[in-house]
Amino acid sequence: MILEAKNVLYSYKTKRDKIILKNVSATFEEATFYAIVGSSGSGKTTFLSLLAGLDNPVSGTILYNGEDIRKKGLNYHRRHDISLVFQNYNLIDYLTTEENVKLGGKKDAEKLLQEVSIPREDWKRNVLQLSGGQQQRVAIARALASEAKVLLADEPTGNLDEDTAGEIIELLKKTAHELGKSVIVVTHSKLLAEEADKIYEIKNGKLCTE
Amino acid sequence: MNLFQRAIRSCFRKPVKSLLLLLVVCIISLLFLSGMASRSANIATQDSTRQAIGAGFLLEYNPESRSQRLEEASQKILERNPDGQGSYGGVHLKNVTVMGSENLMITTDHSFESLKADDIEKIAAVEGIADYNITTVPTAVKQANFERIEDADADQTNDFQGVALIGNRDMSMDANVLSGNVTILEGRMTTKDDTNVCVISEELAEKKQLKVGDHLQFHSVKAEEPVQEATIVGIYQVKEQMKPYMSGDTYRSENVIFTDLHFPEKVEQDDPLYEKAYFKVANVDDYDAVKETIKKTDINWQWYDLIDNNGNLDTMASNFNDLEKISNTLLLVVTGASFVILFLIFIFWIRNRTNEIGILLSIGIAKGKIFLQILTEAVLIGVLALALSFLIAPAVSNAAADYLVGQQAQQAELQDEMDTGKVATDYQAPELTVTDVETEITSTMLLADSLSVGVLIVLSTGAASVLIFRKNPKDILSEMS
Repeated sequence: MILEAKNVLYSYKTKRDKIILKNVSATFEEATFYAIVGSSGSGKTTFLSLLAGLDNPVSGTILYNGEDIRKKGLNYHRRHDISLVFQNYNLIDYLTTEENVKLGGKKDAEKLLQEVSIPREDWKRNVLQLSGGQQQRVAIARALASEAKVLLADEPTGNLDEDTAGEIIELLKKTAHELGKSVIVVTHSKLLAEEADKIYEIKNGKLCTE
Repeated sequence: MNLFQRAIRSCFRKPVKSLLLLLVVCIISLLFLSGMASRSANIATQDSTRQAIGAGFLLEYNPESRSQRLEEASQKILERNPDGQGSYGGVHLKNVTVMGSENLMITTDHSFESLKADDIEKIAAVEGIADYNITTVPTAVKQANFERIEDADADQTNDFQGVALIGNRDMSMDANVLSGNVTILEGRMTTKDDTNVCVISEELAEKKQLKVGDHLQFHSVKAEEPVQEATIVGIYQVKEQMKPYMSGDTYRSENVIFTDLHFPEKVEQDDPLYEKAYFKVANVDDYDAVKETIKKTDINWQWYDLIDNNGNLDTMASNFNDLEKISNTLLLVVTGASFVILFLIFIFWIRNRTNEIGILLSIGIAKGKIFLQILTEAVLIGVLALALSFLIAPAVSNAAADYLVGQQAQQAELQDEMDTGKVATDYQAPELTVTDVETEITSTMLLADSLSVGVLIVLSTGAASVLIFRKNPKDILSEMS
């Protein structure tokens, strides 16, 4: 077990009485592809944010390798333990494709770009000149550039057409099964969820296993 | 990739943003430098003005202390004389019977009313005083061998039927000459080495057919003997009629005759009556130091007024002090406005970078390092902007100083126009025009400018950053989506 959520309770600071997550607990293993599904506003992205250390739960803990992530600090957790992929790619607009990958960590950027099938002639181009699918591949390459054992993705295929989404799903599966990472994906996509090794569903603030 | 590498890439790959900031910082820096340069240029102008009008001090009796001096002298007389009658320091007390009752009558003579020659000499001996002049009170005397100018329609009942003599140790330092009202038309002025000489008005010379070299004879108002003779050494002209000392044709401007210092007392057969003394400062740069030394002179300062440069300097200086105030105000306004402008620019800048900040936070880069990257970019652009402003500042500051001085000169001209016709015999502002102003950008100014701009950049970046960095990463990422 690489990552664990233990009795996590979360509500918005401005609306404390509205509970988003009610004592949610979940465990995540390495080399496994997870999907977290649920209706809009169910708290999927919030749960992912807590796993990523972007926010703190009101109560409960997030453990990485059995240790509370707050102990080493959330910045450290984001830098070393996890990597993130977003729906809208979130690449730095003034950097090239290669530089964006280098931003993620010390791994060989050229090798990673080859692995995610970005043509060599695009490596030195501004990243915004790539297509949506290519940009998402670059975002995954950036996530893979770090040594983190957990990859968290928030609707990674949300902005992509079906074919490209399929390619991205394959890439994520490969990341889990070949690179041995724990890949946790928040999604609405049935296609993506069906490919997961394990599916969690968030319903009324509670987590259920399908 | 470290923050410096990211900062450099951001600066060069987002040129519009960088150029906007470069331009704003460059303008702010130029305004700072122009303000500082104008301020120092003003001081130089002030000094050159002193040089032009001649720095000096005027010594007069303080009219308010006269009654105190009278009282002190009367007290001494009363202490020494049981009957209360007697004299001390030019003050005389005498019993007189008026309407059957006896009263003490106080009279004064020239030795009381005149500036003390000893005190004048003490001030003249102060280091830094180049020369000095003593001017007598206009003295009414009677002409013996010529006729004065008269107004046939004026009532001369209470007039002395004479002319007025003004004695000067050195006529070139007489108040009327210093003010520019009296100038020599023919011949020369009286000097300290002269004896029995005079300078008459062009009207008197013309109407009475008098010329340089002629001899004029005078006697006192009280007695026709002895007669004193003075040689005409010059003929003067006036711009404005000199204000009569008293009513009657004796004191009318055309009948004023300038003489050497001691001639009036010879004619009057009395002690000298010195009204003013003028002290010329050798080096205008030492003006303030000399003034301080004079004030330390061992004389009774309660009796005297020491007037700066006939009052002219105060007027001139006040104009340029206004200019200095404008420069200071400019600097203050620039500082305030710059902070607001930079703050708004950085808010705009940072808000546009919410996406980037969110991404960097999501990959675990600390807020401090992200702020440092933004600050590094601002400083890099700031350094370029400062370098650019240093190159063009001399030309801009000259233009700014010229403009400010031009405004002041315009105001001074307007004031002169308003004052035209108001001035008579008393001191008036000489005709001075500011023709050129030189500004200099010194290394101290560059340092002060760099520090000011640097502090402004750090403060405004910090203030603008607080607005976004106080949020947690999840909220920033939510704003992105």
